[in-house]
Amino acid sequence: MRVHIDVNGERLAADDVWEGESLLYVLRERLGLPGAKNACEQGECGSCTVYLDGLPVCACLVAAGQAEGREVVTVEGLASGDDLDQGLDEVQRAFVEAGAVQCGFCTPGLIVQAHSLIESTPQVPEDADIREALAGNLCRCTGYEKIIDAVRLAATRKAQNKAAQKKAPR
Amino acid sequence: MTSIQTEPRSGSRSGVGASVPRPDGTLKVTGEFAYSSDLWLDGMLWGATLRSPHPSAWIRSIDIGPALAMPGVFAVLTHEDVPGEKFYGLEHRDQPVLAVDQVRYQGEPVALVAADHPETARRAAAAIIVAYEPREAVVDPRRAAFDPSCPPVHPHGNLVRHQPVRVGDRFQAEVVVTGEYEVGMQDQAFLGPESGLAVPAEDGGVDLFIATQWLHVDQDQVAPCLGLPKEKVRLSLAGVGGAFGAREDLSMQIHASMLALRTGRPVKIVYGREESFFGHVHRHPAWMRYEHGATADGRLVYVRAEILLDGGAYCSTSRAVVGNAASLGVGPYEVDNVRIDAYGVYTNNPPCGAMRGFGAVQACYAYESQMDRLAEACGLSPVEIRIRNAVSQGSRLATGQVVDSPAPLAGMLRELAAMPLPGSTVTRRSITEPSSAKPSSAEPVPDLRSLPGGVSQTTHGEGVRRGVGYGVGIKNICFSEGFDDYSTARVRVELLGGEPHVLVHTAAAEVGQGLITVKAQIARTELGIDKVTVAPADTSVGSAGSSSASRQSYVTGGAVKAACEAVRERLDSLRAGDPELGLVELLERFGPVEETREYRHRPTFPMDPVTGQGDSHTQLALCVHRAVVDVDVELGLVKVVELAAVQDVGRILNPVALEGQIHGGTAQGLGLALMEEIQVRDGRVLNPSFTDYLIPTILDMPPMRLSILENPDPHAPYGLRGAGEPPTLSSTPAVAAAVRAATGLELPRVPIRPEDIALAAPS
Amino acid sequence: MRPFAYQRATDVPSAVAAGTGQAMYLGGGTNLVDLMRLGVATPEVLVDVTRVPFDTIEETPGGGLLIGAGVRNSDLAAHPLVLRNYPMLAQAVVAGGSGQIRNMATVAGNLLQRTRCSYFQDITKPCNKRVPGSGCPAREGDHRNLAILGHSEACVATHPSDMAVPLAALGAVVNVESSGGPRAIPMPGFHRLPGDAPERDTLLRPGDLVTAVELPALPFAARSRYRKVRDRASFAFAVVSVAAALDVADGVVRDCRIALGGVAHVPWRAERAEAALRGAPATAEEFARAAEAELAQASPLPRNAFKVPLARNVLVRTLLDLTAREDLTAAGDTGETS
Repeated sequence: MRVHIDVNGERLAADDVWEGESLLYVLRERLGLPGAKNACEQGECGSCTVYLDGLPVCACLVAAGQAEGREVVTVEGLASGDDLDQGLDEVQRAFVEAGAVQCGFCTPGLIVQAHSLIESTPQVPEDADIREALAGNLCRCTGYEKIIDAVRLAATRKAQNKAAQKKAPR
Repeated sequence: MTSIQTEPRSGSRSGVGASVPRPDGTLKVTGEFAYSSDLWLDGMLWGATLRSPHPSAWIRSIDIGPALAMPGVFAVLTHEDVPGEKFYGLEHRDQPVLAVDQVRYQGEPVALVAADHPETARRAAAAIIVAYEPREAVVDPRRAAFDPSCPPVHPHGNLVRHQPVRVGDRFQAEVVVTGEYEVGMQDQAFLGPESGLAVPAEDGGVDLFIATQWLHVDQDQVAPCLGLPKEKVRLSLAGVGGAFGAREDLSMQIHASMLALRTGRPVKIVYGREESFFGHVHRHPAWMRYEHGATADGRLVYVRAEILLDGGAYCSTSRAVVGNAASLGVGPYEVDNVRIDAYGVYTNNPPCGAMRGFGAVQACYAYESQMDRLAEACGLSPVEIRIRNAVSQGSRLATGQVVDSPAPLAGMLRELAAMPLPGSTVTRRSITEPSSAKPSSAEPVPDLRSLPGGVSQTTHGEGVRRGVGYGVGIKNICFSEGFDDYSTARVRVELLGGEPHVLVHTAAAEVGQGLITVKAQIARTELGIDKVTVAPADTSVGSAGSSSASRQSYVTGGAVKAACEAVRERLDSLRAGDPELGLVELLERFGPVEETREYRHRPTFPMDPVTGQGDSHTQLALCVHRAVVDVDVELGLVKVVELAAVQDVGRILNPVALEGQIHGGTAQGLGLALMEEIQVRDGRVLNPSFTDYLIPTILDMPPMRLSILENPDPHAPYGLRGAGEPPTLSSTPAVAAAVRAATGLELPRVPIRPEDIALAAPS
Repeated sequence: MRPFAYQRATDVPSAVAAGTGQAMYLGGGTNLVDLMRLGVATPEVLVDVTRVPFDTIEETPGGGLLIGAGVRNSDLAAHPLVLRNYPMLAQAVVAGGSGQIRNMATVAGNLLQRTRCSYFQDITKPCNKRVPGSGCPAREGDHRNLAILGHSEACVATHPSDMAVPLAALGAVVNVESSGGPRAIPMPGFHRLPGDAPERDTLLRPGDLVTAVELPALPFAARSRYRKVRDRASFAFAVVSVAAALDVADGVVRDCRIALGGVAHVPWRAERAEAALRGAPATAEEFARAAEAELAQASPLPRNAFKVPLARNVLVRTLLDLTAREDLTAAGDTGETS
């Protein structure tokens, strides 16, 4: 079958999709977007987390047909511009700076989930809220300590950026 | 929470000692980093593996016809198609590339398929008809070890290694404590499943892009099985999604290469999570019996121990694991009389081999449990009993080896014990302390999520008891027992765009630990040049040895340092005629300067097969943990409130990366203490998924308090000490001890599960 | 995965029309997609109902709630009327899965989850639920997570849903559409005990489409709790769970609703405990007596016997919690919030 998906702001089509393929497979193998990761393919690790119509979901459990016509944002879609270092989202930047990345296989999913938490929370979330929001994302390398540091850092910076934007004269 | 130095030690701000961010960090946070499962080539086929459903069976026939007949299938291979040697292995080549006439564990590869879609490949594999004749499976390691009537798993018998340690002859003491302990089978559970891409080459060879811990040892095993000379099997490291020992043995390397050579097309194999559980070795489950004798004032007189490790169906690294369990079996304590017997056996259970901590983890859980029993028997605190027996520089280990670098264990324990304890988790039903944080509020409002049960909010504090426990671990760093353990580095200095630039090339596997960062830091420090590129790891440079045994900073770090020093000498000699010549002019005049160096740590020696005596290790590292837990004794739920650690790393190369190693190792130790176990019944794995094999989530991990010491080891580059494994040892017994302290239960087995607590506790 | 045809339904009639033969309905897919990948579920036709507009929550004339079958778990748990009137339901939903899973999973899909028994999930092993008549290795083998109540020789599986436990306690009604017309099936009877036909989890017949779940008005359920014991702090199935609502006046239990999760083939309505409590003093002793009355009928297997005292402890704990005088809406006490 043919599947159309709005991925990272671009309308893409994949042909010859087999009905049993997941959104994750279509993204990774048919649309050239391997950022979402295939760590368990059972919805148990969160490594494949992407936004589907604005909500983070496990792409491995979304049947390809379910994604037809929907909006998907992957970790590749969070950074802007061509200069990788300059265009990073604050969550991405904070993960690098705080040492929250080791092997990095869980990182794309964590970044999307953390991005969702921060975007949907007006204040800087407390550690307990960060932990609760990220409980569906397994990491085997870091013991999570630096990940919490990174999310706290990103949330603080985003809050500061927002405040600065408000203050700035128009 | 950490008290470590962050100032750089060199002229370069991004040299040794600085928290330099990972050079691959940006790629990893944007999804651009190419892991082995992300690789893709035009015309690529997908491989799939048919595995045995039986733990032990004869294979009477294999009919590949139905698979071959399926549209989209390009090749179906069995052991008859293995071009060269049919067996491989790290220590002993006893493992078939594809099963030859019999299978020895559930999940053993039997046949391979290449097809144009992964689902087609999986279906074709399922269509292969294998006639198995199941036979009795050897599943009890005690029987395998000690019952002569037990059927042999291999023709040479079921004993992989028996390593005794014998010293002294006084096995009587005023205070004697005994215990039997068990450690369940732990999985490395890295997140990036086994995967790789094999590309057939024009010269008849193969280029293999693979996630591994040691490219050259893969090459050593792959080439003979393909019937190819080594130079025709070229390996490049693809992105590695964690390792922790599970990538030391081969998984799909030979299989993908066979399919690529047969079809003439690139072949990718990616294991799913379930297959991953069958596709790599696990941590050896252990059965241990210990007897400690001491004086009334708590000084160790003797230790007797029997340690049985189930190696499963194939040898893998079991011999070395047994060696570690034996040589480190009493822990970092001074004791003059020791009698240890460590055994590794074959069974038809899943093969076991390397996992972070490597034989030292299991013994550590047992000897630390014993130290707590001894403390109780002697009326001493857990800290005091350990201090009284702690090794220090100059101590003689049970193997006769003298600790010849700083080992300030007693001081580490004192520092750990002096760290402030976390406040009690105040609740309305157990308010015992005034809250200083919110003096104005009438009553402190607890966050129930911080109690056992966490977000499930199973308690407001009722049934909750606090416990504190300590754990001490000692781990050998680098390969031991006479292994020729070295690494190779090639360092090139050249002008790029008119600026001096360093290229560091090694075959060392970056598996997430941050070696890539450290190599560049060393080059900056040694050469004073900020622009450093680390070349991708491949087999076009000499072996770096394995990314295991906490050894790469030491050995590959040492090789990079040595190569840099050689480059510096060359530059100095080139400059000899004109001392005023700057680096840029020098490189302009003479061109790039490149040096390759091998680096070896001090030699080690085999353990005596009868007495276990010998200087078997080159470096030893210590970590101590304190765990604070709240236990809901009625519901069996444990909340680890805090884990504190003191570790001596000799010299900090990268503070943030180092903390990450200690945090991560600690987490894996907590997992073993409280939840992680591959359940094996009658040789069959019951929980090969992340639904049923539980690893700690972010809600299971507590805040961690670290103190990192720098007492240099004069034998090691920069005085550094390997750091990745020690915290994995000590956190398990610390958590277990804390749960014991909270419940008063014996808890002789890890992981501790709710029923171990709730059933035993008074309701 | 077995090949299958994929169809997208846009309303209930088209879904029911498509749902004939070996068809299955695809909601959030968080369980079904996994089961298909494992080879446990092998539909010939997959009818995607995620675009069927039954994703609203409405108050019923009687003061209850009508919850569309396609309502996402995350929306259900966050709905103000659910939080206010049925807190145990919101708590149960957030106790299941992860945030990502709850963003996909639907009410009907949650009700229809299949068991997590490892023999059911592994097609190389016998299982009466998956292949009727093939046998049940769990009885002799690994049953640590399996049933202590209401199991049969044929099957000792447990129902994995958290959400279904408070629904059973509330006596929710499952609305079903089929080619033969609509039906309403009350819980807890909607789910079946295994008996000698464990392949059937519910009373649904082939082609039946769950369209909504109706919650009755039950004012005292505003004081209700879901408590779950699991093997790690989050994202794990219940070892034992309890949903309870309690109506206490003058120290006496006027009415109550109690169900247990993780202990049976169905979300287990604790009718004996309820009967024992009605009219009894709201004391720890009576709560323990009620729990024991319920669990007296338990027939645990060797390796899950611990669930009996565990269920007792968590039930008593939950009831005490509901009678505690403290303000139960203190910080952090509103259940998981993600």
